Amino acid sequence: MSTKPLHPTPIDAFSTPTSDVQYETESILLKHFPPTPNDTPELNKNAHLQYLVRNLVQGFPERYTSQDASQPWLLFWTLQGFSALQVAMDPGNRQKAIDTIMTWQHPDGGFGGGPGQAPHLLATYAAVSALAIVGRPGPNGGWDQIDRKKLYSFFMSVKQPDGSFLVAKHMEVDVRGIYCLLNTATLLDLLTPELVKGTADFLASCQTYEGGFASASHPSYEVRPPRPEYRTSSKPRVLASPRPALGEAHGGYTFCALAGWVLLLPFTASSDTAPTLSLRLKPLLRWLTSMQCTRASLGGFRGRTNKLVDGCYSWWCGGSFALLEALGVGGIQNASLRAVEEEERVLKDEEGKKEMGRGGREKEKEKRKADEDGWVDVDDSLYDQKALQEYLLYAGQHPAGGLRDKPPKNADAYHTLYCLSGLSAAQHHVFPSKARQKEIEDAWVSKGHYEEDNLRRRVFSSMLSWVEEEGASRILGGKGNRVNATHPVTNLTMTHTEGIMSHFYNQRVPPRGWTPGLTGGKI
Amino acid sequence: MPPIGEDSASLKFSQKPEWADVVPVLQYENVNPLAPIFYSEEYKDATDYFRGIVKSGEKSDRVLTLTEAIIRQNPAHYSAWYYRYETLLAINTPLDVELKLMDELAVKYLKTYQVWHHRRLLLTITRKPADELEFIARSLKVDAKNYHTWSYRQWLLAYFNDEEDLWTGELDFVDTMLNQDVRNNSAWHHRFFVVWGCGVREGEEDRSRILKRELIYVKQNISLAPNNPSAWNYLRGILEHNSAPYSALKDFVAVYTVPHSTDRTEIVDLELPPPDKGAELPCAQAIEFLADIYEQECTREAALKATELWRSLANEHDTIRKKYWEHRIRDALEATKDDV
Repeated sequence: MSTKPLHPTPIDAFSTPTSDVQYETESILLKHFPPTPNDTPELNKNAHLQYLVRNLVQGFPERYTSQDASQPWLLFWTLQGFSALQVAMDPGNRQKAIDTIMTWQHPDGGFGGGPGQAPHLLATYAAVSALAIVGRPGPNGGWDQIDRKKLYSFFMSVKQPDGSFLVAKHMEVDVRGIYCLLNTATLLDLLTPELVKGTADFLASCQTYEGGFASASHPSYEVRPPRPEYRTSSKPRVLASPRPALGEAHGGYTFCALAGWVLLLPFTASSDTAPTLSLRLKPLLRWLTSMQCTRASLGGFRGRTNKLVDGCYSWWCGGSFALLEALGVGGIQNASLRAVEEEERVLKDEEGKKEMGRGGREKEKEKRKADEDGWVDVDDSLYDQKALQEYLLYAGQHPAGGLRDKPPKNADAYHTLYCLSGLSAAQHHVFPSKARQKEIEDAWVSKGHYEEDNLRRRVFSSMLSWVEEEGASRILGGKGNRVNATHPVTNLTMTHTEGIMSHFYNQRVPPRGWTPGLTGGKI
Repeated sequence: MPPIGEDSASLKFSQKPEWADVVPVLQYENVNPLAPIFYSEEYKDATDYFRGIVKSGEKSDRVLTLTEAIIRQNPAHYSAWYYRYETLLAINTPLDVELKLMDELAVKYLKTYQVWHHRRLLLTITRKPADELEFIARSLKVDAKNYHTWSYRQWLLAYFNDEEDLWTGELDFVDTMLNQDVRNNSAWHHRFFVVWGCGVREGEEDRSRILKRELIYVKQNISLAPNNPSAWNYLRGILEHNSAPYSALKDFVAVYTVPHSTDRTEIVDLELPPPDKGAELPCAQAIEFLADIYEQECTREAALKATELWRSLANEHDTIRKKYWEHRIRDALEATKDDV
């Protein structure tokens, strides 16, 4: 941790409500700074576990009435929190969890926020994800009691002409719903070209001028001849413009749009289903990095420009960097050998610019030496992972257990999970491995129609190609603070993701071995 | 629909004789759930009756009373909202009365999706958007950056795009919001939507004139408070949207990339507003912008200048983004490797 004096956010002698509240927040966070530069913070795993267990076993206090339509979320946040803390449930509570989840399945298909509540994309995601953690095949295991056929009909019933989906009948359209639908459909082998037609274009249309993504966009349709016989297709075409984003660039929506886009890669790769719009990656990267606050806010992430730091954006924003790697941005496996060599050559030619260090391989060797804090700067992430861990450990933990938005707020189930998931993203390098993808494709047993099977195989192998880079974890405060690695798309462990998918795709997944050399030994 | 009177307020639905014909349905009948929520007796009662109504499919006036009771206790109960909406339509309730009720709830429950979405559904039918702008402006006084409120305003304008009257005061409205807080990113985003995002308004067909106007506007706001990422993002956004090069702003930006100079001319130049006396310079966003100008020149020489600027950001002016600036350096050097 740098011993340089802190620079609070500049106010330019021109205060406004934004700068007032920013200043106030920084003053509070100052009290949570590491006491000494060499301090080793502790993740109080036991306290957080007790917090989660209390909620699970005793139940949630009355103020959680506001979450009555989000019961699947309460359970998912709690169960995935356990997974992050490397704790498994006992068989009794496991079965109770499965039985509870299944009461949320609606007779018409899909899951609702509670028994008898209307089916909803977000509730469905949370319920299915919770089942991925506690469920199993067979009677009373949950998995085989999911009505996939009716679920698919529910998905199609909320699909809109512009490629988006309502989150539930009569409800809003937004990218959270799209992520939830695509993720669930991928886990349960329900993805089809018909289901996702136009969706990639919708996602792209949500990118704002700032580079992040908004909640939704507003479509306009071509003006069509009133007489049906003059129309060229049964559905009106969405126009490229105007198609304004509704709402500013936001961390939560950005994660959902980006994860949705990654989930659609098996479709967008083919020329038939390729979207007409593409993502603007350079502004997206810029915006994401600009969401990390300065050390005056302990290096945590905010969710929108000129707003305050919040622990949950550790996952929504911090976690998005791994997704960018699937699009070729960042990550050592994406680094062009030429770029590294070029940098090396230029820096050798430059005089008196030693502070950049030596380039290429020598630079890598330098990086692998621990700095004075014992931090090994071996990663190639594009944001400051160490600072994010500092935010979470020094400010994100509530002394009584659970994690939070920011001090002096109380902990809650939502923030507990997303802080832990964010910590996981900051500790580990999880990336899509081409070698692993090939292993999985080679083990695929073909069934059914050729084209459809090819697509399923692509979907299956891409989702399961994410691996944790061996030996590249960087854990602030020592090994005791380690949390489990998390799948950057599903926010489950890789093991749980594999487990549920191998069941629904009816495929064997070869065991994960040591991944030899990320770039196949090239660098 | 009859409002909940003081007499009946304390009575649960199970205690009201007019509800005696409805069979309440418990939430968890056969399962002892994990992680239960400890509802109040009133909420449990109301939702038991709601489940009973849903089961029978009843759509009547009293359903409005019931759903209102639930919504007041849990504004996020989307099934209650959806069922309420279907009931309103089924029994032909006058929707402006419903809208008035929503006015009250929206203020209380600003951060809930459903309150805003319900308005959207109603507006789609009533088709009277003019009053909504005033309502939205009042909501923003309470919470100037509420995401649902701003996106609802954008939806309203986009949906009723053809009604020019609706749009006439919009730029002034954004101005007002930015005068209150030049750092309100939601307002800047709205400005982009109004000027560039939703078609061309009457009288604004000369896009180069509009661009010129907006450039002056954003530059003036940068000079007021340069360390304001919202303004810089807007500047970059309008240049990119219009495919205009960053280089045209080099003279403007340069002054913000160095500490204050002691000799300052007092000549007022709208095209080149200088930083106000209180500005904290150099400003990281300005240094970044200048580096981008160099990068856009696509020569090795310019890339090296950009590299120096990025290095100064990495090591001094914006150290939290050190890895990003190093990435930019690598990128620019690789892109110009053949220009040596």
